[in-house]
Amino acid sequence: MKNKSNFSEQSSPAKSSSGLFKSLMMSQYIRKHINIIIGALLVVVFGTIPLYINVDTSYFAYYLFICFVYIALSQGWNLVAGYTGQISLGGHAFFALGAYTTAIIWLHDLTKTWYYFDPVVMILSGLVPVIFAIIIGTPLLSRLRGDYFSFGTLAAAEVLRIVILKGGSFTQGAMGLRLPASSFSSMSPYYWTGFLLAIFATATVYLITRSRIGLALRALNEDEMSAASHGVHILFYKIFAFAVSAFLAGVCGSLFAYYLFIVSPLGIMNLNWMFYPILICVLGGNGTILGPIIGAFVVGAIFSYGDVFVGQIHPMLTGLLIILVMKFMPTGIMGLKDKIFTRR
Amino acid sequence: MVLITQVIINGILLGTMYGIAAIGLSLVFGTMRIVFIAQGAVIVFFGYLCYWLFALLGMDPYLSLIIIIPVALLLGTAFYYVLFKEAAALKDRIGSLLIAVGLMFFLENFMTVVWSPNPRAVVTSYGFVVFQFFGIYLTLTRLIGLLLALLATLGVFLFLNKTLIGTAVRATSEDVEASTLMGINPNRVNAVAFAIGIGLSAVAGINLATTYSFDPVYGFDIAIKALVALTLGGIGTMYGALLGGIFLGIIETMGSYYVGAGWAQAIVFAVFLLTLTLRPYGIFGRASQKA
Amino acid sequence: MANQLLEVKKLEVSYGDIQVLWDVSLQVEEGTVVALVGANGAGKTTLLKTISGLLHVKKGEILFSGESLHNLKPQEIVDRGVIHVPEGRRLFASLTVIENLKLGAYLPRTRPLFAESLERVFSLFPVLKNRKDQKAGTLSGGEQQMLAIGRAVMARPKLMMLDEPSLGLSPILVKTIFGLLSTLNEQKTTILLVEQNVNQALKIAHQAYVLKTGKIVMCGKGCDLLLDEEVRKAYIGERVSKQKG
Repeated sequence: MKNKSNFSEQSSPAKSSSGLFKSLMMSQYIRKHINIIIGALLVVVFGTIPLYINVDTSYFAYYLFICFVYIALSQGWNLVAGYTGQISLGGHAFFALGAYTTAIIWLHDLTKTWYYFDPVVMILSGLVPVIFAIIIGTPLLSRLRGDYFSFGTLAAAEVLRIVILKGGSFTQGAMGLRLPASSFSSMSPYYWTGFLLAIFATATVYLITRSRIGLALRALNEDEMSAASHGVHILFYKIFAFAVSAFLAGVCGSLFAYYLFIVSPLGIMNLNWMFYPILICVLGGNGTILGPIIGAFVVGAIFSYGDVFVGQIHPMLTGLLIILVMKFMPTGIMGLKDKIFTRR
Repeated sequence: MVLITQVIINGILLGTMYGIAAIGLSLVFGTMRIVFIAQGAVIVFFGYLCYWLFALLGMDPYLSLIIIIPVALLLGTAFYYVLFKEAAALKDRIGSLLIAVGLMFFLENFMTVVWSPNPRAVVTSYGFVVFQFFGIYLTLTRLIGLLLALLATLGVFLFLNKTLIGTAVRATSEDVEASTLMGINPNRVNAVAFAIGIGLSAVAGINLATTYSFDPVYGFDIAIKALVALTLGGIGTMYGALLGGIFLGIIETMGSYYVGAGWAQAIVFAVFLLTLTLRPYGIFGRASQKA
Repeated sequence: MANQLLEVKKLEVSYGDIQVLWDVSLQVEEGTVVALVGANGAGKTTLLKTISGLLHVKKGEILFSGESLHNLKPQEIVDRGVIHVPEGRRLFASLTVIENLKLGAYLPRTRPLFAESLERVFSLFPVLKNRKDQKAGTLSGGEQQMLAIGRAVMARPKLMMLDEPSLGLSPILVKTIFGLLSTLNEQKTTILLVEQNVNQALKIAHQAYVLKTGKIVMCGKGCDLLLDEEVRKAYIGERVSKQKG
């Protein structure tokens, strides 16, 4: 998503860092593939971390797990924001659908598989939100723009919340569904699944945005006239983006259901799950692949470690943080990097 | 028959609360294209102010208007200058929406932490007085609430139509650039619009505190409904927002009566979604009104 | 040396990265009518918007009565007496005629003379008096243009800048409007007139500039330019090719 940055004044030349670093940065090859290089580095780093730390006992591992989930969620949101140019405020609905699907399948023994970290269940948990996304997304994306679209997603999510609350024995209403906590053995599967999910999300979004379709759509987003004349094709790809984000959110929801062992509206359909991805993307820098990753680590740190030190205060921080970011750093951290490295 | 009328009347009374919240939203959106989704949280905040003035100082809730309204006007001006001025100037819709969401989060959690999540209500000694017309029961608090809402609406109407600044607000809503060519300072106009919007929230808040019990997270619910009311009524007209609110109130009470409170909410949202897809400019709005 | 009310010196203006005006210089002598003509997209509107403060100056100077208008806000420029009647009128359609006029006299310096200004507008444009409580959006094209000009008069302008007042009007109306502009000029209002209707504009102008793709290519006395071969060929009599600016 193109962020309208208001910085028109000349940025001062980058402070002279070592010549080698500079020439490395300037090298065309590196600049072109910088994203992949950094991505590969991150994969290596986080893939090998379990060699140094005990994944089961380390709080750091828990922090990374949370970050991976946030990354997956945020990449999904970022994709929608970039593709449709619109702000979806309904992400928590997909997340919840994924969690509930997992819980319901497990508790009702529907697939006759082993359930805990069962890939079949997790994939199904990703697909159910996709159906919801298509049903809701088609009318909303085809007819509504801007704020109207955002409210539409918000309203749809709230309808889902009510349906869940009124779901009777199926969803156990406000109390939620309890999963057999005895299945829990170690943090390892969470770490690795989260890790793979983050990689999958990032790679998927990267491939989609780099594809011809992605570039074409982004260009069309800038020019609404052209977009209008292309009609159906555009709509299809927008719904596609919406569905991908729904899938990612659903699998994240499933993963979190495995983590919490209780799926209730308060925990799973919490507005935080709608808001954190947005905060992360804005903080990290819109329209970039690395932005959500950086943002996730920063936000994850604030809320995991902040939890330890300041406890109850942190929900207020979310609000304060987004205000500060929007006022002082609207292009996010990646935007700052641009200002430092760009000569005008 | 009488019962249905009672339900409808209750709906109208409930709806006026949504209505004045919607008018506030409409003013802010009209001039600055900002969706002030924190409106609900602000309304609850004023509800708390009213409650504490009552509980700690024994001040009559309607008397506390004298303190609360000026506070609201100041707060609205502050909100604009501190939070939204840049976003309004840049016409940054996403940014302003996110700031509003941030404010909502902050306020709600602030109230939860500072004032606890327990529900509150302002119960006055005379509040339970009931009037009866043709078999319909109206409590005094609801009547006063209705009166307040109508007076507030009238006040805003007079301001917008009979004062120069009010006319400037309407002009800015229509065409910001042209209004600057008249020498109108958009910041002043925006701040005025915001102040009025928050002022209306204060009235709604007092209404809320005296008529219903509330807790910190109730704000989100109200904000959504105010948005629904605004969309139903159509952005751009003041009476549209009020009527949208009343219409919504009636749907809600009738829904509650026939299918229960939970499903009533779903019906409200369903109607909202339907309106969005079929008539995004609302029942009273103009098709030409740009969102 | 007569008093130059408005001086634009080597002005450069860009929309983002796209430069629209190059090295534009012009002068408006006090008490005159100056016409700025050129094809669609030449940059005429951009120039007016820059003078009135809606767009930022990239390079160059704008002086009004010797005072620089650089980086002033639109409201401040209006306060100095530079009134811009924008392209397409930009009336407040949902407001009534009288409300539009009231807003014209929004600034504190204009308000004490409100009644007098209103009288003047109604005598110049009697039709507006008849329709004073009608919504501006319901007026005809010609009436709207009169209202737009009337609104500017309410601001007691020293310099009135009009962007294509003839747009969408029948030839008879155009003549009427331009006649009114002449009258205003006789009443000591300096006018900067941007027009595609070159014929009419040059008839009432004392001085004229021709703007082509962001550059001033010609300037001279209005009547002289009317007779100039180049101008006739390019802008009068033959169809002007539309360029996308």
